[in-house]
Amino acid sequence: MSCSPFDLRDYILGELAADERRQVDRHLRACHGCHDDVERLRTTHATLLALRDEEIPQRIGFVSDKVFEPSGWRRVWQAFWGSSARLGFASAAMLSIALVAFTFYRPAAAPATSDVTTAARVEAAVAERVAAAVDKAVAKTEARQARKTADLMAAAEQQRQADMQNVAERFSVLEKRYNVERLLMARNDFRGEK
Amino acid sequence: MIFRAVEDPDLIGRARRGDVEAYNLLISRWEKRVYNYLLRITGEREEALDLSQEVFLKAYQHLRKLEDPARFAPWLFRIAHNEAFSSFRKRKVESDVLAVTEAGGEEIGVERPHAFPIELSIAVTTALTRLTEEQRETVVLKIYQGFKFEEIAEILSCPVSTVKSRLYAGLDALKAQLAPLKTRGVS
Repeated sequence: MSCSPFDLRDYILGELAADERRQVDRHLRACHGCHDDVERLRTTHATLLALRDEEIPQRIGFVSDKVFEPSGWRRVWQAFWGSSARLGFASAAMLSIALVAFTFYRPAAAPATSDVTTAARVEAAVAERVAAAVDKAVAKTEARQARKTADLMAAAEQQRQADMQNVAERFSVLEKRYNVERLLMARNDFRGEK
Repeated sequence: MIFRAVEDPDLIGRARRGDVEAYNLLISRWEKRVYNYLLRITGEREEALDLSQEVFLKAYQHLRKLEDPARFAPWLFRIAHNEAFSSFRKRKVESDVLAVTEAGGEEIGVERPHAFPIELSIAVTTALTRLTEEQRETVVLKIYQGFKFEEIAEILSCPVSTVKSRLYAGLDALKAQLAPLKTRGVS
């Protein structure tokens, strides 16, 4: 434990006032323990400072790109709203204006009965228009669907007839071949008997 | 004609108005200090560089939130401190996961490459890595970056008394390691 009047680490770090430094200097001349301690602190400090700053291996920089730069209007806007104090003040001011405006210009209440009649009439007209539009759309879709089905049926019938004709032709060819084979076999049998 | 050095607050004002070149000039003034601060508390060049880039990007994005441009340095180092400790926490989680998944549950020692090649630098770097993260950071901010106690307290978001106790504990630990080493003639 140091017996110095002030902390020796503050002495080494230059944190003491001139008068405090002088008091420590006087103490160090008389106290060997504190003198040794200061020497060790000085050595530590000097050793630490032997570690030099390094150069940064890669310079840091940003590229100016117009795409990312805020427009003049946006900068003004950000400058205004960037401060929380200004934002708070503006919010309070807007709220006050709204309250005052509401107090002085509050609209008179309109008769309730005419509102109800008008609303019912508008609602009925809207419902009628919606129903007509839905009916029209449904009819149109059904007609389109029926037309598509008829086309598909016709195409399928045409394909079926073409397939039948193809099968008949092939069967005819096969039958002819069979007859030829039978004729050849009969001829060979006749020659063998001879 | 009157010549006047362009001060940091001037550059900050221009950068706030969208002048990227002014911000690049501001970076060129501070990048070395920020990089070396991060290098000494992380011990890794690559990580220090990545973090430095993150720091300057975040600083640019939040430049409008800087109330007093004259306090740019503590504000910038506050961002650097946050980035570094966020990285420490992430690294710790990854290290814990690695330790759990490793067969046999052996302790995983994270080998950090020494950033400074010469013998004395290795001794200093080793001594710094033996401090707690808080002590090391306080020593770096005081000894290498030359901040005042109040500024360090602002950067670390803690009272001046905490800064002093961390710094003194760090210096005592460093003295125990480095002072005998020096007197034995290692230089």
